[in-house]
Amino acid sequence: MKARILEEKYNAQAADPNQNIMSAYQNKVLRINLAEEDATIEPLRMDFADKYVGSKGLAIRYMYEDMKPGIDPLGPENNLYFTTGPMTATPIPCSGKLSVAAKSPATGTMNDCSIGGHIGIRLKFAGYDIAVFEGQSEKPVYVVIEDDEITFHDASHLWGKTSHQAEKELIDEYGTEYSCLSIGPAGENLNLISCINCDYYRQAGRGGIGAVMGSKKVKAILVKGTLGVKVPNIKETTDRILEILHENALSEDNEYVFDEGTYAFLEACNDGGILPAHNFSAATDVKWDQYNGAVMKKYRLGKRGCGSCALGCGNFMQVGDAIVEGPEYETTAASGPQCDIASIEHNVKYNQLVDDLGMDSISTGVTVAWAMEMAEKGIHDFGVHFGNEEEMLKLIEDMAYRRGAGAELADGVKVASEKWGGTDFAMHSKGLEFPQYEPRGSFGMAASYAVSDRGACHMRSYTANSEVFEAAVPPYTHEGKGQVLYDLGEWNAIKFSCCLCDLWGTADYAVMSELLTLITGKEWTEEDMSTVGRRVLNIGRAFNQREGFTREHDVVPQRLFKDKLKGGPADGQVMTEEGFQDMLDQYYEIMGWDKNGCLPQELLDTL
Amino acid sequence: MKVTVALRGTLKKLFGGPTEKVVEIPEGSTCEDALLAAGIDYKQTNNFGFVSVNGMRVMIYDEVKEGDYIKAFSRVTGG
Repeated sequence: MKARILEEKYNAQAADPNQNIMSAYQNKVLRINLAEEDATIEPLRMDFADKYVGSKGLAIRYMYEDMKPGIDPLGPENNLYFTTGPMTATPIPCSGKLSVAAKSPATGTMNDCSIGGHIGIRLKFAGYDIAVFEGQSEKPVYVVIEDDEITFHDASHLWGKTSHQAEKELIDEYGTEYSCLSIGPAGENLNLISCINCDYYRQAGRGGIGAVMGSKKVKAILVKGTLGVKVPNIKETTDRILEILHENALSEDNEYVFDEGTYAFLEACNDGGILPAHNFSAATDVKWDQYNGAVMKKYRLGKRGCGSCALGCGNFMQVGDAIVEGPEYETTAASGPQCDIASIEHNVKYNQLVDDLGMDSISTGVTVAWAMEMAEKGIHDFGVHFGNEEEMLKLIEDMAYRRGAGAELADGVKVASEKWGGTDFAMHSKGLEFPQYEPRGSFGMAASYAVSDRGACHMRSYTANSEVFEAAVPPYTHEGKGQVLYDLGEWNAIKFSCCLCDLWGTADYAVMSELLTLITGKEWTEEDMSTVGRRVLNIGRAFNQREGFTREHDVVPQRLFKDKLKGGPADGQVMTEEGFQDMLDQYYEIMGWDKNGCLPQELLDTL
Repeated sequence: MKVTVALRGTLKKLFGGPTEKVVEIPEGSTCEDALLAAGIDYKQTNNFGFVSVNGMRVMIYDEVKEGDYIKAFSRVTGG
């Protein structure tokens, strides 16, 4: 069927003086109604684009507009947004990221994930800035988007298959000019640590986003686009973008990305005292050199990158039957030192398994490590023990299919610890498991996890950058960290709203504002980048505030205050509750929020 | 005394081939002194991150001792 264009909405846009249409946007939002198997096209809210640019910011603003507070994240009222940005599908390097957003069933907050591969570019070439999946199908379906042709197909034969099996069958049938988003059994079974896969090896991983797609009975989405993207002064624009590519993106600052990818973090984190081990008991691993970048290179088949990528972080590896683009640093740490397993072969097998089953590699590893500590402490034995690879991989399958002890862990560490105990060392904030940076070695990360808009996330305020990797501020203090939190959070907020990859570490406000000016035909300044970044932080907080989140939810596990860290340069470090609360106070004040962490009405009115 | 200076990340190319170098420096020298002896002025080095000694992050002004293994890391971002 052809998606119906809602002419009256375009007429209204044309009559609205606030809707100045910028170049590089498609000016189309595709809404797919799964219950009715219907599709409509409406104009992009250009006033939103003007305020939030694209991807992350635009997705949250639409969620805030479209969805009522208090809805069930696994019910029909939760929408699933796939949001590009103005830079998507242009020659701008590292702009292939797509924001995947919905209310999180794991945390109850907003949730946006950044996914790579080629899906973002293909969606933009199909003619859309955003595709919104609304409602729920009664039966398993897969949806094909090919320009304005939207078709719904029975997916009964795919339901129950792994993510990679389903994608292979579909790509074999449709061809490699399509990109595929798919879920595995974990998403079908509504596991709160389930992910969405793209082009086999890339994931929207966090916050149970796979369960949202599973709740809609959507097994897969195929996208093919044959259109273009309009930018002004094509030759001058392209020439300048190429200069920025060579002068900035390909500068020596970013060379490590192609050399080792995120494996480069492993040694830096180990020596820096923030590589978490033994379920966040220690922050160094004496066996780290058994699975580091040098070992990785022995297994590496080649390098890979996403669409538009100039840096190629992906390490394509094979161990036996297991083939992955990775493991990334996060996956390596979560499956390795956290579980007392020092084997790169295990890391690869784990990575392949969780991807195939459609599970978040961070949350799964942290949940298993918690279960191992539960057994070690004699509180409850889920059948997994530190150092045992076979038990771990077997349990993960059971988690995906909600079998036996696996069923108890299928929804992550918050749900499991509330039933079985061990909450002090259940490492999550708001129900999202900690990423792989130990806060007692980098105090700002504790506040970063606590105030992050989707629960514990390192892709918001990455304070380890300043505290450890640049040694710019002292790591073992709360003093001054509010400003560090804010500066790095604002930067990532605008960067992800431009749909740029976080690994382009030299993409500063000057670069981003120039690129936006080149392609949109509107003048953007460095100050605008700061303003938009701040606004994106506020809209995320506003969404959560409307859901009832306040300061009392900005918490971290008691382990950080009770247990001294073991080993490494941060040996013996422990945080204080007072210091942690002071970081929140500092941050709230900078953001203009009240003592309860809430936006005042005058701030809400600006969003 | 002799210490080893090793380079990591994008700093690896600064020795023009090998990634580590043994240098001789006086007692009481700091990490900065060791790097200078190896030909690296961290203040003039683009993308310089941090240093560790024997696998432990330290400050650039911390003293080193005979046989220490000093790593100089470039900055990394993302994750």
